[in-house]
Amino acid sequence: MEKEKTLTPSELLTMAEDLRWQIGGNIHEHLVEGIYTDASRIADRVVTGERPKFDLDRAIDRLVTSRVWGIPIMILLFTLVFWITISGANIPSDFLASILIGKIYPAIKEIAFSIGTPWWLVGILIDGMYLSTAWVISVMLPPMAIFFPLFTLLEDFGYLPRVAFNLDNLFKKSGAHGKQALSMMMGFGCNAAGVIATRIIDSPRERLIAIITNNFALCNGRWPTMILLAVIFIGALVPAHLAGMISALAVVSVTLLGVLITFVMNWLLSRSILRGEASAFSLELPPYRPPRILQTIYTSLIDRTAYVLWRAVVFAMPAGAAIWLVANLTIGDLSLAEHIINLLNPVAVLIGLNGVILFAYMLAIPANEIVIPTVLMLTVLTAGVQGAGAGVLYELDSQAGTFELLTLGGWSLLTAVNTMLFTLAHNPCSTTIYTIYKETGSVKWTAIATLLPLGVGVGLTFGLTQVWRLVEAWL
Amino acid sequence: MVSVLTIPLIAIFVIVAILLLFRPNSGLFLRWRNVRRKAKQILLEDALKHLFHKENANGEPSIQSVSKALQLSEDKALLLVSIILDEDLAVWEGNKLRLTASGRLAALKTLRAHRLWERYLADKTGFSEDEWHARADRAEHILSASDADALSAQLSHPTYDPHGDPIPSASGEMAKLHAIPLTTADIHQSFEIVHLEDEPPAIYAQLVAAELYPGMKLEISERTQQQVRFWTNGDEHHLPTHVAGNIYVLPFPDKRTARDIPKLRLADLKPGQRGKVVALSPACRGLERRRMMDLGILPGTVIRAEFVSAGGDPVAYRIREALIALRQEQARLITIQPLEEKNDS
Amino acid sequence: MTAEFKPASTAACETCPVHQSAYLMKLGVDMQNWDYAVALAGNPNTGKSTIFNALTGLKQHTGNWPGKTVTRAEGGFEHAGLNFKVVDLPGTYSLLSTTVDEEIARDFILFGQPDVTVVVVDVTRLERNLNLVLQILEITDRAVICLNLMDEAARHGLKIAHRSLARDLGVPVVPTTARSGEGLDHLVRTIGEVASGKIKYSPHRIQNLSPALTSALDRLSVHIENLYPALPNARWVAMRLLDGDERITQALEQGELGHLSPAATNEPQAIQNLESQPA
Ligand SMILES: Nc1nc2c(ncn2[C@@H]2O[C@H](COP(=O)(O)OP(=O)(O)OP(=O)(O)O)[C@@H](O)[C@H]2O)c(=O)[nH]1
Ligand SMILES: [Mg+2]
Repeated sequence: MEKEKTLTPSELLTMAEDLRWQIGGNIHEHLVEGIYTDASRIADRVVTGERPKFDLDRAIDRLVTSRVWGIPIMILLFTLVFWITISGANIPSDFLASILIGKIYPAIKEIAFSIGTPWWLVGILIDGMYLSTAWVISVMLPPMAIFFPLFTLLEDFGYLPRVAFNLDNLFKKSGAHGKQALSMMMGFGCNAAGVIATRIIDSPRERLIAIITNNFALCNGRWPTMILLAVIFIGALVPAHLAGMISALAVVSVTLLGVLITFVMNWLLSRSILRGEASAFSLELPPYRPPRILQTIYTSLIDRTAYVLWRAVVFAMPAGAAIWLVANLTIGDLSLAEHIINLLNPVAVLIGLNGVILFAYMLAIPANEIVIPTVLMLTVLTAGVQGAGAGVLYELDSQAGTFELLTLGGWSLLTAVNTMLFTLAHNPCSTTIYTIYKETGSVKWTAIATLLPLGVGVGLTFGLTQVWRLVEAWL
Repeated sequence: MVSVLTIPLIAIFVIVAILLLFRPNSGLFLRWRNVRRKAKQILLEDALKHLFHKENANGEPSIQSVSKALQLSEDKALLLVSIILDEDLAVWEGNKLRLTASGRLAALKTLRAHRLWERYLADKTGFSEDEWHARADRAEHILSASDADALSAQLSHPTYDPHGDPIPSASGEMAKLHAIPLTTADIHQSFEIVHLEDEPPAIYAQLVAAELYPGMKLEISERTQQQVRFWTNGDEHHLPTHVAGNIYVLPFPDKRTARDIPKLRLADLKPGQRGKVVALSPACRGLERRRMMDLGILPGTVIRAEFVSAGGDPVAYRIREALIALRQEQARLITIQPLEEKNDS
Repeated sequence: MTAEFKPASTAACETCPVHQSAYLMKLGVDMQNWDYAVALAGNPNTGKSTIFNALTGLKQHTGNWPGKTVTRAEGGFEHAGLNFKVVDLPGTYSLLSTTVDEEIARDFILFGQPDVTVVVVDVTRLERNLNLVLQILEITDRAVICLNLMDEAARHGLKIAHRSLARDLGVPVVPTTARSGEGLDHLVRTIGEVASGKIKYSPHRIQNLSPALTSALDRLSVHIENLYPALPNARWVAMRLLDGDERITQALEQGELGHLSPAATNEPQAIQNLESQPA
């Protein structure tokens, strides 16, 4: 081989440029055609055998993507998942509460006093840290342990891409990308994971839209709040045998509302700050694969349990201590918590909530899981319910007890519905905010993604409250 | 009392105002002057671009032509041209203005920025065809040479803009277009569209509406004073002469004529029907095109339409054993040859 | 032109694992206490994460849709007294386009220079998967093809002649069913063999390219080889340069390609070249 003069890198680049002009046309095209010619030759030689005549996959696909049945089947499937979650979680939830709060709590408190622990230490450790952790566990764990295995089964079966396939047209019309359906469904697990999952969207504009609206997908920290409120306020409106179904429908409705808001926000964003048209879309629909049921249930149970317990310890414990402190430090006649709550009340009343709920949402920025425990602890305090001490939970080891306490705290059906709406739409938790910042690298988009849901939540609850009050007055 | 306080206050106010106006790097005065300078710079670049185009079209660049092209009064145009002459960017040659080497380079730099930006808009954003030109007209004055180089790298060094115009290289070299307008092309010959003139916008919009793109093959069937009739992709078009004159073509040595290329698109397949890919339309660009090819959509690939989504739009196609969902507007970019139905379901 | 060169001290031993780890560390992979690095690449949804979990005992999320994994995950296993670091990459259809997830996979395979690249293949879509396999084989000859989802192939009545595939591709091919763990022990053994570098493989190189492209590639790769005699994939670099790949162009300009050569013998020469060039 002739030895040519060695070129410098930049001479090489110039040469490449010249050759590119000489070849003409699209190099990438030439390459891919060449590669695929090789590939199909090899594949033809190596693969033999006939596919069976009847294809079950095709039959399932015809059904779940049909114009008539596609969307109803989707809603039905999700309702079914929630219904199983709600009716299945009731008993273990009450059971856990009766053990952790009904039995262990008074017992360790007694022990603590009997060995002469100072009252404030007992307060912080047991009334604060222990109780809030116990609450998070008994409220969170059972629904999570049922919901996630079910969802994972759907995922492993191959149903999720079909949802994206069915919803793509709506996403396109709203100016967004069909794969946003996938990141949204990941958001049902955890919004931070949903935000990372938007990486499957190639177009930067559509990816930003998906990131900003991901928070309208209810995450695992918010499901239990939703389920609890749906059960004790909405399920209670109907006869007992319908309660489970109606609560499930209520949760599904709020979830669908979240999806609807996502579409509206997509539409608004792609006509304002993220203007542009929908880009191309191609999605591979994988074959259905029969999931391995027992193994899936086992692993997602273990995974989730560990995750929820970890979050409970990391976030609920310090929050519990903080709540106990603000509830027991007094300035003048009132505790610090009461001062803050009174300050928030006027705003909260406008949007049909109360100061306690707003304050709880502020304390719950690190983790949405602790909203309900915080609300309960603060309610006990302001409603003047007396337990073993000021600012301490009382008889909350059953859902009926929770209902009574909240009613005592001034909750009405309107408050519950508003809280559900506000749970759906408010600022993302701190982990999600941080993830958004990491993924976008921009303070501006992070701020928008944080404030937009909050604005929507305030708007929704304000609107509903005003209409509700008008109708009430008129009746 | 009052006067004691007022005097220092006024003094402070005046100082602050002066500072605001004349601050070294971002004072209002400087900004205002920059804006003026920017405006002048833009006019200058536009004028050079005009001279360049006029020269290439064998026209007669002059003060009048500058004033007409940039919509300036003749006085202003005179002023502009005198600046150009002062800076040695052009010289008089008889009654024609001729660009000097440095003037040509400056014009090419603007052109490069413009065409790269169009390529960028076409490949990486969702802006529609009729917006590209206006947006690039703004961007060309903002992009610095190094911005343009970075953009070119990011786009994998494209050689043509989406209208088929060659993009000048960083050193100012550019492929020559030998294309002829469709109105002078021979009848019954195969041609390839290499360039669509994007000005004036009203005519360009008609070309876009007719779904014509650089890279398309066509064959003229009839040419009269008023109109040109031709075939592309199995469709017959007729365009008025003044519109067809904005299509530039090159002879295309192909035995198959444009008339033979079937009209059917992938989007026309009903579920259960099969087709063999003939070509990907040139309108399928950038990442979208790469993605489709990576998935194995290439000339010769057999594709079968499987089922339609519940929302009515994406359709799932069986492509090399895999099930791929494509939207209608993408499936319309793939021309196919229908195949006999295979009885397998 | 800015070029950074490493001192020649990392030179010499071609198969020595320490040699490779410098580049892996640059990509943020901790290679302390590991003997070999193994990358898991492949089309989306072919079971890469499932294999990763089976090998490492970790719980990387899996799911039946393309795009489940979007970030790199790392774990490890031990085999025959050696420690193997495993990196689970996002699925990709090709290394030729430039999207975020593909860049992660491409950068890792090219710049990370893993000791073994396992290409996980969905046998029920072999042709489409081979598109990526053939591209990876242009980059590296230390590859193992893992024919996954054999159970699905059987369910659909497909038979795969994996020995003849191994002959065609020129690298080891291992059939597996990752979900039940079938064939994984064989996979681990094969990874061990390829990592040790005892057998030299000569993988398939893309053949059916157009004449114009082939001659351009030949001309360009001669010069690339002249500049970096030890570069294992000059033809692939030529392809990418012709296609105007920004990352590769940059790598050439900044001398990173020089680092990719298994032996550092070419460095003095490269420095000379740079010095003779006007600033
Ligand atoms: N039947 C069967 N299913 C498998 C096998 N291997 C993996 N799967 C399933 O295939 C699906 C995809 O597996 P993953 O491991 O997530 O695939 P991946 O390649 O990591 O996918 P991406 O991260 O999206 O690129 C999961 O539902 C697995 O349970 C196998 O050998 N047989
Ligand atoms: Mg994976």
